[in-house]
Formats: sequence, C-alpha cells, structure tokens
Amino acid sequence: MFRLLRLVNRLLLGLAGLVLLCAGGVVLAVGTKLSVPTWWPYSGPHDVLLSRDDLHRWGGEGWWWPVVIAGLAVLFVLGLWWLLSQLRRARLSEVLVDSGDGEGARVRGRALEEMLERETEAHEGVARARARLTGRRRRAPAARMRVLLEPHASPERTVARVADEALAHARDSAGLDALPAEIRLRAARHGAERVR
Amino acid sequence: MSGEHPTETLPTVPGGHREDGGAHQGAYEHRRAGRFWSSRRVPAAIVAAVVLGVSGLFLYDVVSVRAGGAEMYWRRWLTRALEGQHLDGVWVMAGSAAAMAVGLWLIWLAATPGLRAVLPMRRHVPGVRAGLDRDAAALVLRDRAMEVSGVQSVRVRTKRHKVKARARSHFRPLDDVRSDLRAALADGVRDLGVAKAPSVAVRVRRPKKKD
Repeated sequence: MFRLLRLVNRLLLGLAGLVLLCAGGVVLAVGTKLSVPTWWPYSGPHDVLLSRDDLHRWGGEGWWWPVVIAGLAVLFVLGLWWLLSQLRRARLSEVLVDSGDGEGARVRGRALEEMLERETEAHEGVARARARLTGRRRRAPAARMRVLLEPHASPERTVARVADEALAHARDSAGLDALPAEIRLRAARHGAERVR
Repeated sequence: MSGEHPTETLPTVPGGHREDGGAHQGAYEHRRAGRFWSSRRVPAAIVAAVVLGVSGLFLYDVVSVRAGGAEMYWRRWLTRALEGQHLDGVWVMAGSAAAMAVGLWLIWLAATPGLRAVLPMRRHVPGVRAGLDRDAAALVLRDRAMEVSGVQSVRVRTKRHKVKARARSHFRPLDDVRSDLRAALADGVRDLGVAKAPSVAVRVRRPKKKD
C-alpha cells in the first residue's frame, strides 16, 4: 500500500511537473524571441496569451463542450481521489493466521502491533516503540516501526535484537513465512554527561 | 578550516555481531542498503488540492453556463486579462519562468529519494531494513566523544557523508586528545551500523583562560 502510494505520488508529481515545465517553456521560448518551428502554438512575441478567437475556435462544434466537461470531470475525480489517498492511513486491520489444522484464524492487526511494541520496548536500549502493520494483502503483512533509542544505546545492536526477537516472535506467532520490516531509529534527547 | 586537522576517512567494516544465520548472512552483507524513499505525501496533497480546486471551479462554471446560467465574474476577468497580455510582457515572462521552476522542482521531488535525515543501516537480517536519524547518530557520537578523557565539551554535527566534531579540551596535550577522540569516533561510527560510514573530521581547541 505504501509502495503503491509512493509510486503513484511520484508518477503524478512528475507528470504535473512536466506539464508545468512544457507550458512555461512554450510561452517563455516565444517571449524571449527564440526562433520556434511553425507548429508552435504561438507565432511571435506580440501574440496574446489566449485570444477570443482561440476561445471560440471550437465553441461552435457540437462535441466541444461535452469533451471539455468530461475532461474537467475526470480531472476533478482524479484530484479528489489523489487527495483522499494522502489522508488515508494504510493500515492492516487483521492478519490471517494459518493454524495448521486447515482452519484459519484472524488476528486483529492492532493486537499484533501492540505485541510488537511491548516486546520491542522491553529490549535494552529502547525507550519507546511504535509499530504499524501494512501490506497489500492480509496474508503478507509488513511492519513499519519507529524506535526511540535510550541514551548510550548502540543502534546496530538494538536493530539486531529487535529483528531477532520482537519481529521474529511476531512473525512466528502469526504463523507468517516472513515479516518484512522497516525500522527508523531516533534518539531521545539527553544532556552530555561527563564521565569523570 | 580543517587544514591543520586533516579529515580522516574511515573504512566501512561489516559488523559481525550475529553469530547465527551465517549462511544467508554473507549474501546480505554485500547487498546494497538503499536509501529510504519518501512517499511525498505533502507535495502530492498540495498538487492534488490545486488540481481539485481549479478543475472544480471550471467544471462548475462551464456546467452552469451550459445550463443557461451566467458565467461567473472571474471568467470574464480572466478572459480579458489573458487577451491583454502579450508574450513578451514582463508578467507573462515572469509567470512562465515561475511555472518552469515549479515544474522542475516537482520533477526533482518525483525523482529523488528525499528523507535525507535518515541514514540507511547495514542489512543483516533478510527483510529488515533500518535507518538511523542523523540527529540520533550525532547524539550517539557525542556520547562517545564525551568519554574521551580531556574532552570538556563537544559538539557533533552529522551530515549525510560527514561527521564534524568540535571539542574543547581542558587538560592533556591537545594532540593526544585529538588522536583519542579520532579513535573513539572511528569506533563510534563503526557501531552506528550505517551502510556508508561517514568521514570524520575532528577539531580540538583549548578554551581561553579565564582571568
């Protein structure tokens, strides 16, 4: 889900950037009196940005207004969907557990998240932990974690412990083959203490 | 600035603290730990809101005119304004240059990873990616530096490829403190576990005598 959103955001941002770049370039090239090919939308620096003729060129045709309205409607719906998908939090509500006897069970995503958090916080060097389950399908979840390090904790050892214990336990207890995880470490602010 | 206190580049040393899983570990240690890629929610939300607003406004106006209503005042104003602008006008040129700049910036946002504050860490466990905040790295290194005897206070700044430590030393010869500090930070950088070890620059000063 996160990966998909990231891809879509980046593609659409790039597209919007390209449109702005081209629109600006078309006008600026003529404005700075660069020589432009004949098919260029503007023919010289004394052209106006948008003349009444341009506006009414297609107005008389029967297909023009339906096409304009349809185009605007598509843009509107696309914009609405894109905006809403930024606000939505991609979060897994439940994980399907294979219990081995042919009957699946469901674990609430929140329960698994809490278990991950509690166990991670019990590790040495961890002041606070936040976990969130994501993933496209219920059977292949992934975890995103934020870990706040205590003063004097070693980041590398802390990550190794979280991976080997908290994450491994969560993975095994939900009967998953794998639980890919992304961990971001921050450190709790603390004053510099003199050793002696 | 660092002319007399040369910058020392530290080699990346693969951490070997995991005893188990040696079989698949070897493959993972050489795997490139890529940058964290931002999902660009904020710029996407802003662009989406602009697209939504502009298309909604035009849609409403076009539909209401088609349905026999009057066009809104801003469209008449806009038509007149666009008609009056020649392409070599200052405002048109400035506007199109600004549009190009914003366009380039959006393309930049789309193509670069962002999240520059997160240093990717070495990957030891398959499927687990970790990143360390630059501020956290600076705090860890500062704690290491404070353990060096002779260091009274120290300020550590981390950039993506560089760590700068500025220390004040109140006793011991400065050269000794400097080499100890350099060794301590070298150890510290290794323990951070970041994939690309930053280079370390150390500067040690003696505080001015108080009279």
